[in-house]
Amino acid sequence: MDGYNFAYLDEQTKRMIRRALLKGVAIPGYQVPFGGREMPMPYGWGTGGVQLTASILGADDILKVIDQGADDTTNAVSIRHFFQRVAGVETTTATTAADVIQTRHRIPETLLRAGQILVFQVPIPEPLRFIEPSEQETRLMHALEEYGVMHVKLYEDIARYGHIATTYAYPVKVDGRYVMDPSPIPKFDNPKLDGNPALMLFGAGREKRLYAIPPYTRVESLDFEDHPFEVQTWEHTCALCGSDHSYLDEVITDDKGGRMFVCSDTDYCQTRRGEVA
Amino acid sequence: MDKAMTVKTETTRDLVWPGLADPAHDSQRLFRQILGAMSEPGTLTTLAVPAPPSDALGAALWGVVLTLCDLETRVWIAADFDSPALREALAFHTGARITDDPASADFALLTHESFDPQTPFAVGSDTYPDRGTTLLVAVERLENDSNGANDEDNGWRLSGPGIAESRVLDIGDGAGCRALMTRLAGNRASFPQGLDVIFGCGAQLAAIPRSTRIASVEARADSQETN
Amino acid sequence: MYVAVKGGEQAIANAHRWLADRRRGDRDRPELEVAQVGDQLRLAVDRVMSEASLYDPELAALAFKQASGDLTEAVFLLRAYRTTLPRLAVSEPLETANMRIERRISATYKDIPGGQILGPTYDYTHRLLDFLQLAGAEVPAAEIREELTEAEACPQILELLNDEGLVEQEIDDGSEPADITRDPPDYPMDRAARLQMLARGDEGYLLALGYSTQRGYGRNHPFAGEIRLGQVEVEIHVDEWDETICVGEIALNECQMINQFGGSREAAPQFTRGYGLAFGHNERKTMAMALVDRALRAEELGEPIIGPAQQAEFVLAHADSVDASGFVSHLKLPHYVDFQSELDLLRRLRREHAARQAELADAHEAVKSPSEEN
Repeated sequence: MDGYNFAYLDEQTKRMIRRALLKGVAIPGYQVPFGGREMPMPYGWGTGGVQLTASILGADDILKVIDQGADDTTNAVSIRHFFQRVAGVETTTATTAADVIQTRHRIPETLLRAGQILVFQVPIPEPLRFIEPSEQETRLMHALEEYGVMHVKLYEDIARYGHIATTYAYPVKVDGRYVMDPSPIPKFDNPKLDGNPALMLFGAGREKRLYAIPPYTRVESLDFEDHPFEVQTWEHTCALCGSDHSYLDEVITDDKGGRMFVCSDTDYCQTRRGEVA
Repeated sequence: MDKAMTVKTETTRDLVWPGLADPAHDSQRLFRQILGAMSEPGTLTTLAVPAPPSDALGAALWGVVLTLCDLETRVWIAADFDSPALREALAFHTGARITDDPASADFALLTHESFDPQTPFAVGSDTYPDRGTTLLVAVERLENDSNGANDEDNGWRLSGPGIAESRVLDIGDGAGCRALMTRLAGNRASFPQGLDVIFGCGAQLAAIPRSTRIASVEARADSQETN
Repeated sequence: MYVAVKGGEQAIANAHRWLADRRRGDRDRPELEVAQVGDQLRLAVDRVMSEASLYDPELAALAFKQASGDLTEAVFLLRAYRTTLPRLAVSEPLETANMRIERRISATYKDIPGGQILGPTYDYTHRLLDFLQLAGAEVPAAEIREELTEAEACPQILELLNDEGLVEQEIDDGSEPADITRDPPDYPMDRAARLQMLARGDEGYLLALGYSTQRGYGRNHPFAGEIRLGQVEVEIHVDEWDETICVGEIALNECQMINQFGGSREAAPQFTRGYGLAFGHNERKTMAMALVDRALRAEELGEPIIGPAQQAEFVLAHADSVDASGFVSHLKLPHYVDFQSELDLLRRLRREHAARQAELADAHEAVKSPSEEN
């Protein structure tokens, strides 16, 4: 795009983000402050992920962008179009073909491979924020590894509802040290964080924080011995591909209570339908 | 490397500290290699960078400097690397500020021989562990084979984030190498404070971040380190 | 057969066309010129420049027009442009004492050296709709006395108090201030960083917070020591020539509040200060900013923190309209996945609740039935 550098960001900003990324990788799960810049899309709409993607993306990379697991949701379309315009990169909807995948709210169903990078858009990077709103305080809690309050919060849920009432953005502990917000992915996706061969990067633009999970890193979802972590299950299968093991979106089909369930991961669903056909 | 970069010929390399031919794209490509090295500790990667007129520094570390340093970074240079030519080249190509105070350095350039465990590099704080020095260390060799040149077990067994099971890295026999790896093995005790290291040997590069567990291959039997 | 919604790209393109059409409005009327906006809607332009932290009246006017008059959107447009600009030089500290005065008032003294100058203000207008403007009546030119532009004649009021030691001194310790446009926020923030955050903070937000201190939530007894508006020279130091040169003038609004005493056993009591500064004519903003600046000094001045306006992290983290509007508006984005997981849990909880109720009812029945048989 005329007048703008490759991938929009100027080189100095990219270097600043790259240095922060290396520290993020070296200290898995720790939120590295970075000098986030305004982007030409609103904060909260993926500016953190976009800045990270812009800092790692090369002319030869193939990029995939998903929102809610789907390639065709409006914001995914908009971000994909942005990178086509400012970096001229090839894009794909195929999880297996992508070098870099930017995502909001899902981890693809297809297993990622070594060498791939998954970039998450993060609204609130601080897992302790809703327990302690002050940044000064939460920073200290991380420093002292003082995570008792998080367990107390989860346990209060159990006392009240009989279950942990957190169903997405479910907190994890990375490599036995930092409690981390995995971004608002459904807890269904949490097990995919553990020991994943791909590099996972997390960017929060408005909050100016980034963090990382290197490949093959131990990632545990917080739980209790008598209330072990468990993921969502469905009584239904995907109405399109018949999958009985993927995350399903509920679709309302009429005003008489009619509904159906379909895969949230559109590439996964289409690939399965292709194979079946 | 998928795209070769212009490498200066032997006749000119004595004089010239080369920059990147295509800064935006070359630094992106190099960064991805460095990111890969840091993400998967101990893996070797070869950087296609024009070699600097210093065999001791080597192409890989020069490439790291060109990729990551700018006027917002401070660089500390060990005495055995330091030269007016290097200082000039750093200033010209990156604008980085040279510092005599290792505790204020974002990056430190040194060799395994000039590594001194007493040098007070920044290791970050418990609240801001990222505010630490990244060491760029030129080493004798970089191999993933535990048997070094003289058939001794010189390797170090790495495990932790970025490593599926374990991986062996050998950086050389020197006393400095041992001192350095011993220091890095101590990172775990002070985590999240610690030193992150990028090794260079010619055009080859590997990294060990502070998250890595390190045990000497010899001592492996009695040191099944966990957290 | 269900088919997932496709064609997001086409939908977005169509939405953009429709938006442009709405912005242009009735084609029978001439299109609004950017220069007209800069000329006739200058207070909007000034607000956009201030909150975008970019002094460029023409582009601010363009942003305002492009945003169809949505100030928050215009601020965002200009801010996003600002971030792509190279940083060519850093100016010397601005000297507002040398301002070419257009307006200058003090609420603390009846008469002041240089005089009270009302300037172009809405203050004493009666808020009556001027129906003549509907008819496009001519507006007579203003009368401006020439000598008003003499800077020397207008010393800063707080400096007069300074001579007596009555007001605290602001001392430049020479340290490099943080740059909030490049460094991530690091709480607690020093005053230099706080003032930067407030200077680009949303006017309505600062107004509400400043107002809350007046109503008792962290009261700090303010007097408007001086409010001035006018042109200030911007100078840069050129190292090569070892010389400071003027690169232009910008319009600034400055407010210096005088607040009630600080002091201790050791230090004699003194008035304290709150400070506000903004690009262009932005008086309400600078006054609100000065109130909030003073409120945020509570800890430094040993005052109890009782009002929201005194809680630095709260005030600063939520002041930016680009941050705030982005995050609020992101709720428009699809959240199907997370909503689905909440639905799933809620249905399960309700099933379990119903089962428990049924059990309870059964148990109750079991207890009751035998007695009924008797």
